[in-house]
Amino acid sequence: MNTWLVLLGVGVGTYCFRVAMFVLVGDRQLPAWTDRPLAFVGPAAIGALVGGMLFTSHGRFDAVGLAELASVAAAFVTVRRTGDVAKGLMVAFPILWLLTAANL
Amino acid sequence: MTVESAVLGASAAAPIDETSRSSGWRLALAGAREMAPMTMGVVPFGFAIGAMIASSSVGVWAGIASAPLVLAGAAQLATLQMLDAGADPAVIVVSALVINLRLLLYGTSLAPWFRGARLRTRLLVAEVVIDQTHFVCVPRFERGDLTLERRVVYYCGAGFSLAGAFVASQVLAVVLGANLPPAARLDMAAPLALVGLLAKATIDVPRTLAAGAAICVAAAAVAMPFHLSTLVATLAAIVVGVTAQLRSGRKAVPS
Repeated sequence: MNTWLVLLGVGVGTYCFRVAMFVLVGDRQLPAWTDRPLAFVGPAAIGALVGGMLFTSHGRFDAVGLAELASVAAAFVTVRRTGDVAKGLMVAFPILWLLTAANL
Repeated sequence: MTVESAVLGASAAAPIDETSRSSGWRLALAGAREMAPMTMGVVPFGFAIGAMIASSSVGVWAGIASAPLVLAGAAQLATLQMLDAGADPAVIVVSALVINLRLLLYGTSLAPWFRGARLRTRLLVAEVVIDQTHFVCVPRFERGDLTLERRVVYYCGAGFSLAGAFVASQVLAVVLGANLPPAARLDMAAPLALVGLLAKATIDVPRTLAAGAAICVAAAAVAMPFHLSTLVATLAAIVVGVTAQLRSGRKAVPS
């Protein structure tokens, strides 16, 4: 029973976060001062997620290995040059497989 | 009935520039297609969560139900892990909601693009507000060539294809009891897809500084309680980005 109540609490609370601004904004314009910070939500939030994934493990600082970092660099450079995330994955994964197989 | 009118309600008054069924579906498919690299990234994550559900004490039905209820991988994983470990229910709910506080920021950024849509459309659109829909759809909307109705269709195609694949991959992993082959390194699919997005999002010096600050703070603040580090890193990076932009004297890109 507790399990279902917890899941319901997390689910309903999460949906409230998602929907809050859709209901509050309605037909109104957001004030102009919000433009500048909102333009940074994307890079800031992706950076935070990437930082957590690559440099932490089980609640403490712990960087991934050389193979992972090399594949990350390859993905970044490829997407920067081509503008295509799928191509980034296609270049990064073979590098990751090779370096993982080589125990780097 | 077109996709647009199905989504917006048959009495939607605003004119739409493409009314044929095929163009609506094509637009929804275009959204799904442009989301595909992100979808490829969440499927292995879904498999991993599904495999965890199959081996945890939470129960198969509750575990499967958690996927569509939460629709956010990190918070769902944290919830399931804490339930399995027997943590206090209030602590679990608060921790998961702290992880998901960033959705409030995404909602703030996405909501203006759906201003003027019917309430039930906005309620539906909000269901798939998540990292990937924000990262893929906002830059697409900023190109300025989609009307409100077409933004709804594009967004729903992108968002619900992603959500469907995420939930389906979890169900499949629970049903099959699948274990990921470690040599495939699918654990890196989600971070690599996000790094690709980062390469696209860091279009100038202030945004690059913001992203760098976010990475550093997320790593340095990892020991903060209740998984606060992601949210703190995001907010700190926004401050860094805004400060850098004000110093360089450039104008903000209107959202």
